Formats: sequence, C-alpha cells, structure tokens
Amino acid sequence: MPKQADPDAPLLVVEDLRTYFRLEGAVVRAVDGVSFRLEDGESLGIVGESGCGKTTAALSLIRLLPANAWVAGGSVRLYGIDLLAKTEEAIRRYRWREISLVFQGAMNALNPVQRIEDQVAEPISERLGAERDRALERAGDLLELVGIPRARGRTYPHQLSGGMRQRAMIAMSLACDPAIVIGDEPTTALDVMVQAQILTLLERLRRELGLSLILITHDLSVVAETCDRVLVMYAGRVAEEGPVPRVFTAPRHPYTRLLLGAFPDIASGRRTLEIIPGSPPDLRTPPPGCRFAPRCPGVMAVCREVVPPEVRFDDGVRVACHLHPPGSPASVPAPAGEVASPGPAAPPADDGAPTAGADG
Amino acid sequence: MGSRYLLRKLAQAILTIAMILLVNFLLFRAMPGSPERILLGRNPRVTAEALAQTRERWGLDKPLIPDQLVAYVEATLQGDLGYSFVYRGKPVSEVLADRVGPTLLLFGLGELIAIFAGLAIGAYSGWRRGGLVDYVGNGISLILYSMPYFLIGMALLVIFATGLGWFPTYGMTTPGAHYSGLLDQAADILGHLALPLATVAIGLIGQYSILMRASVIETLSDDYIVTARAKGLREDRILWRHALPNALLPAVTLVAVNLGYVIAGAITAEKVFNWPGLGTLTVEALEARDFPVLQGVFLLLSISVVLANLAADLVYGVLDPRVRT
Amino acid sequence: MTTPVLTASQLRRERYALRARRTRDFLRRFARRREGMIGIVILAFFVVLAIAPDLFVGPLQSAVTASGGRLEPPGLAHPLGTDEIGRDILNLTVHGARISMIIGLLATLVTVLLGVVIGVFSGFIGGWTDTLLMRLTDFFLVLPTFVLALVMTPIIRDALGGGGEILGVRISLLVIVVAIGITSWASTARIIRSQTLSIRERAFIDRARVIGAGPGRMMRTHILPNVTNLIVANAVLCFAGAVLTETALSYLGLGDPFQPSWGQILNAADQAGAPGLGAWWYLVPPGASIVLVVLAFTLVGGALDDLLNPRRTGRR
Repeated sequence: MPKQADPDAPLLVVEDLRTYFRLEGAVVRAVDGVSFRLEDGESLGIVGESGCGKTTAALSLIRLLPANAWVAGGSVRLYGIDLLAKTEEAIRRYRWREISLVFQGAMNALNPVQRIEDQVAEPISERLGAERDRALERAGDLLELVGIPRARGRTYPHQLSGGMRQRAMIAMSLACDPAIVIGDEPTTALDVMVQAQILTLLERLRRELGLSLILITHDLSVVAETCDRVLVMYAGRVAEEGPVPRVFTAPRHPYTRLLLGAFPDIASGRRTLEIIPGSPPDLRTPPPGCRFAPRCPGVMAVCREVVPPEVRFDDGVRVACHLHPPGSPASVPAPAGEVASPGPAAPPADDGAPTAGADG
Repeated sequence: MGSRYLLRKLAQAILTIAMILLVNFLLFRAMPGSPERILLGRNPRVTAEALAQTRERWGLDKPLIPDQLVAYVEATLQGDLGYSFVYRGKPVSEVLADRVGPTLLLFGLGELIAIFAGLAIGAYSGWRRGGLVDYVGNGISLILYSMPYFLIGMALLVIFATGLGWFPTYGMTTPGAHYSGLLDQAADILGHLALPLATVAIGLIGQYSILMRASVIETLSDDYIVTARAKGLREDRILWRHALPNALLPAVTLVAVNLGYVIAGAITAEKVFNWPGLGTLTVEALEARDFPVLQGVFLLLSISVVLANLAADLVYGVLDPRVRT
Repeated sequence: MTTPVLTASQLRRERYALRARRTRDFLRRFARRREGMIGIVILAFFVVLAIAPDLFVGPLQSAVTASGGRLEPPGLAHPLGTDEIGRDILNLTVHGARISMIIGLLATLVTVLLGVVIGVFSGFIGGWTDTLLMRLTDFFLVLPTFVLALVMTPIIRDALGGGGEILGVRISLLVIVVAIGITSWASTARIIRSQTLSIRERAFIDRARVIGAGPGRMMRTHILPNVTNLIVANAVLCFAGAVLTETALSYLGLGDPFQPSWGQILNAADQAGAPGLGAWWYLVPPGASIVLVVLAFTLVGGALDDLLNPRRTGRR
C-alpha cells in the first residue's frame, strides 16, 4: 500500500472523470463524466465500441495521455489518495507500483531490441531499487508464474509467439506487485485458443495474488467469462454498470441490449445478429442530451434535450437512460456523485444512504 | 551476429560490385563513338602504331561480349585501370592513389564529426520537440539541407578566408613553404583543412540531424515508449534505453542510403577550395575529357559506396537483434 | 426488382461535385499549414520570373551587350553588381531562374515517368519481372548516381556532336536532363511499387479481374489513380533534388555558358576567382536563389506528403 493510503478507503473511486483532447483546433470530449468504483480483488470489465473512451478513461487513471490530451475534471482516488491532484513527477511514483498495464498487441508494446527478462526486470531494478541479479532472478520467477520457461527470458520479443508475448507482458505488469492491473484489450490480437489460455491465466493470478483487475475490451464474451462487474460506455459516458450476471441477463439500457444482441450466442437460439444502425457521434460536437439518442430504438423527445441522470437499482445496477428515470420501481435514489457497488468482498448491501467513507 | 545475415550482405555487395564493373564497361565502351577516342583521347598526334597497340591491348578487334568484357574485368581485377591522357600515360591507378589521401582526410574527419554531432543534435531536437531550440535548429537544418555543399564552402571562404583572413583560401598546403618539422607541416595542413572540413561537416550535420530528428519523433510514437512511461521510468532512461537504440536503426539505414548523395557534395566542396583530392581530380578530368581517369574515379567511388553500405549493414546487424536471428 | 436510383448523368454530376468539394477541402487544409504556404509563395515568385525573364530585366546579356564594368560591386546602375565581363548580375540571375527551373522540371518529368512506369509495372506484374526490376532499382539506389550522371554527360554530349537547340533549350542542357532522369528514378520507383503492392491486395482488383479486365487496363484505371497522391508529393521533392543535382553538375563545369543556370553562374564566378577576390555579389544572388527554391520545394513537398499520405493518425 502506498504511504499516503487510507486503509479504510475503497481501492479505487473514480468520480465524474473528464478527459479531453485537442485535435486540429477543436476539443474532443472523449471521456465526459465517467464514474465507477473498484474494490479489492474485484474484476471490472469496461466495454464499448471503438472510440467510446474506455481506453482513454483507463489511461487517465495514471495520466498516461498523449501530449494533446488532458484531464479536465473529476477525481480519481486510490485508497483515498487523489491521483489527479498529484504533479507529473508525483504520479510517476504510482505508475506500475500501484497501477500497471497490459497492452494489446504486445508485439509493439515490448521494446524490440531488449531481452524479455531485462524488460520484466527493469521495473524491479529501476522502481524498487533491487540489484540487477536479484531483479533478473525475480523476473525469472514471474516468467515461470505466467508459464514461460525461465530460459526463454534471454530471447527477444520477435522470437516469441503472440501468446507468449502477452504472457510476458503480464509477467512484467506484476513486477512491482501492483494493487490494480489494467488490461487494455489484452486478448484482442490473439486467436481464440490462446485467448482462453490468457484469460485463464489472468483469473488464476487474480485469485492467487489477490489482484484487482480492470479489463477493457469490446468483446462481451471475455467480460462474461472473467469479470465480476461490467461498465458499459458509450461516447464518453457511462450507459450502464453493474454485476455481470444482472447486466447480461437483464440489460436495462437500450445500448446494452443492442450490444448483447450483436454478439453470437450459441445457446440463445437466435438466428440473426442485430446490428446497431448509425455510428457514434462526433465527440467534438456531441449531441445535447443523451448521446445515444440518434441511434436509440426507444428514443423519446426528452432524450434529445436532457442528459439522462444516473439511477441506481437495488440489484446493484446503475443506468443512465430516460427509460429508467429516477423514481422507477426498484430504483434507489442516488445523490449526485455516489456510486453503488456490491462487490464480491461483500460489504453490507447499500441502502442508498450516502456513507461517509464512500466519497473518499 | 548471424552468419547467414553476414554472408547474405557480403554476397549482395559482391554482386553489386560486379554490376558496377559491367556498367563501367558498358558506359565507356558501348557508347556511340569510337572507343579508341575514349581510350586514346582526341589527340591528333597519336600515331598509327599507338592506335594499333591500344587496339590489341584492349582487344578492340574482338567482339564486345564476352571477349572485351572478360579482358576488361581481368585487367581491372589486376589493378590495371588504363592510362591517363592528361598525366602523360601515368597509370590511372597511380593517379587515383595520389589523390585518395587528401580526400580520405577531409571526408573521413568530416563524417566522423558529423555522425556524432548530427545524430546528437537530431536526437535532442526530436526528444525536446517543440521548444525554441528545436524550432530554430530545425529551421537552420532545413536551410542547410537545401544548400549545395559548395555554396556553404563559398560562403565560409568569403567570410573567413577572404574577409576575415583567419584561414588560407586554396589548396592543402601553402605553396613553396619550407617546414621546420612534421609538426609545422601538420599545422599548415590543418590550417588549410579547417574551412573545407567545416563545409563538409556542416553539410552533413544538416542532413544527419534532420534524419535523426525524424527517426526519434517516429520512435517516440511507438507503443513500447508508452509502456516505458507506464512503468514510471525516468525520462532520461526512456530516452537512452528505449528511444535511442530504436531510433538509431532507421538512422543508420538512412545514413547509408544518403552516402551516394554525399559524394556529390564532397566533390563540389573540394573544387571550391582547390583541395587536392579526388574531387578536384574529377573536375580536371572532366574538363580535359580524360576518360580513363573518369572511369577510374567512377569505379573507385562506386565501390567505396558499396563497401560503406556493407559496413553500415554490419553495424545495423549489431544494433538490431531482429535481423540477426 | 430494384431500379437504379440515379441516372448516369446524375452520377457524373455527383462525382464532379464530390471531387470539387474534396479539392476545396484539400486546399483549405493546405492553406492552414504555414510552411507549405511559405513554400508556395516563394515558388510563385520564382516561377513568375522564370516564365518571362525578359519582361523584368530584358534579354540575357552577353559579352557584347554587357552593360557595366568588370566585377563592379552593387550600385545604383547595377543593384546586384556585375560579373567579370561586365554583365549585370541581376540580369543573369533572373534568366538563370528560367534555365534552372526548366531543367529541373524536365528532369523531374523524366524521373517521375520512369519511376512510375517501373514501379507500377513491377509491383503489379510481380514474379520474376518484379524481382529483376527491384534488383535493378536497388542497384541504382546504392550507386552514386551523381558520379554516373557526371561521367555520362560528356560522353553523350560528345556522341551527339555540336550545339543546337530544341524548343529553346540547348542540346547540352537536354543531355543533363536525360542524365539526371536516367539516374534518379530509383527511389520513386521504390515508393510507387510498394503502394502498388498494397493496392493490388485490395478487393476491387480481384473484382476487376473477374470481370475480365486486362492488366494494362487495370493498371491504368485502378492502380494509377490511387498512386497519384503519392506521385504528386514525390514529384515535388524530386524537383528539389533535380535542381540541386543540376546545380552541382553545372558548377563542376557541365553547364552551358550560353544558357547559364544558377550553377553555371557560380561556376563562372569560381573561375573568375570571385570567392578569393571577395566579390560576394557574384555569389549571393544565384546562391540565395538556389537555396530559396530548393527550400520552397522541400516545404511544399513535405506539406503535401503530410496531407496526402497520412501515416500516423493520433492514438485512440
């Protein structure tokens, strides 16, 4: 745990995160008010179409943004510590040691002219101050942990298969014993068999090491298999969020419903895949009101004008949709800023009243 | 380094040299106009005897291919490059040998300086992109890149030699000078070397810094740099351990590719200062239509470029593990 | 049964409107780039001078019509001074613009023509032809082509004999055009070939083949339009290279004193001993012109390349 941590605070609380880009003179509101929470040992899947801001949101946690992007608002509290208030130099200390990443397409994410074991050992020697031999030894341990023979550590990235490279990236991400590992489409570039292996590995590591995972993906089947909770993003905002079993069997947001319909499901007996007509909005000039309104099959007049407020239901699901306005049956009024999350660590079920610690 | 890579590059180099020999042969032999003129010059005092001798020596009576070609290749491989018109029958190989030294001195030093300075400036520029130093540096590099070497040379000559009188204007040594010792001679040469060296170095630095800057900028948008940042590594470690080793790779390739163009600059730069190297030799030979010498120069320079490229390939093989295995 | 939504003429009109819109959009985006615009302005200046030099400074001065004394520094009568036979430097430089630009243009045309033909052909046909042509291209890339052009030029000139003009350009200069063209096509061919390869992989080529289109037609109507962007950006940069090469060749003595390019002016200056005599006015006008023109081409070419061939768009 970091020094400034509050031991009673939840692992991660993100409130109203806003990250904007400057592109050719215009401002792109890539992440425009995203909130969520992550508890110890939880696995949260963030899903959405390409460009919905899921990667940007995750990278904003440790401010790994390109030069033309900046965090415009909100708060990110890790064990109660507000990361967004930290300077660039200060946030560097939290990178990898508390929050690490596994990128997609590990071919380019690994330095092509550096040996695998050196890359895995690098954060151990550079960030933890270990001696080179000790660091290499530990790197070997990590490689074995993910199923790569220690001797293969002497090779270069191009000499490994896609699956092995991804494993190496996972080993690297564990080097400093982080609290949270963010996987950015970690299995997208892999074929299905390898994908299954990687997911199994991640699940095993999560259980054995007590990791918390944020998995970013556009593949709902991955989320269904490995995540406790899912956050559905659309055009920079949260559409729906909740426990995976609930959201997947009884989606409330029309977008979630369409998303689930767009995925092949061998058991469902459906013969056709639904497509979602249209394309995501231009985030330089997003539509007023609900951003999904232009494509929504259930759109109403109010949707085009008023941003739908977030509503919490007592089964733990959060939705932002006018079809579920505040006051719907089984919904629980949520004061602005609070986020409900019954995670697997099972704190007492939320009854809607704001608790002192939850807001950090 | 993988021996397969080494052998492949070596084989390519040999093949290229073979093609150069062929081109050299065709250029001077298969061109319209009597080859004797090319081999003997338009010298009206050439006797019928000398004509017949030349015919025989070069096998001009025999068919072009394969006999003449074979004779030519044989002769070349033995170091016989013909005889100069201008230097009264002196073997071309000797003429070239006389002039290689000054060119190596000028050019070798220039390249050395430029590689270190140019790559360093370019890397710094690319790393600290957008600052005032980058903008100004980039602007200057762009202008230098657009400037023929001889123009740089002329400017330096007019300002520092003729104008300020800090350096001598022409040649490698002061004509008619008596030296009190080796050191004295070296000092004289160095004084004459300064401006030509500055010319070559400035021109090359202009080119190399632009190459390196572009390469660094390209490398910085690669994913493993993001990974390095995500790891929370210090900026200088990211630069030295991740960015530079990768940015050097295309830079080395580009430096090698540019060698051909650099030669143009070197030749013209020598002319400005009348530096007694291969460049001024070329100019003289051009004027006098001394074809054997021109042929020899072409051969020498081409083969040098091929060898330099081979060296660059070997360096690349050391730097990039992907080609070795 | 569905009926066509638009008639043929309507389709054509749609296509023109789309192209006009795209061009306008492109020009607007180009205008936004400062470096490209600076380049265009400089180029426009020199092109205007090159088109009708007589309008600005009168006919090219010769030894007979020289208007001043020898190597006079800049003054009222001759704002850029005079050369060693009394000719006005301003006059020489402006006329030099015409020669340098024309040679550059012609050489670029030859280079691009050769490069595109070889590149498209090689990339499209593939197989042994491709391998052979690529070996040749690689050879020309390694070769110091400047030296080749250097020795080629006097040989061809001697073979062709005396002077004479074609369309106002002296034969000796046309030989330089040919020499530059023959030696500079390789990098263009490389670039065009790799683009051709990637276009060839695309679906519509297969569809065209299924309909029965022959290779010539496919190369003309499918590949060519898609490499145009690349060609344009490349041609502009080739122009810069051609000007530099011609300048160097002329400086080394292969220019024509009757139609002096900027390089030839500098050669004459060198032979008159101008640098040693401090006659900077003889050197600066042609020298600065060369730098400005090459710089302008490089800027414009770079801006065009950025615009037409975007390689790295931002991260997601």
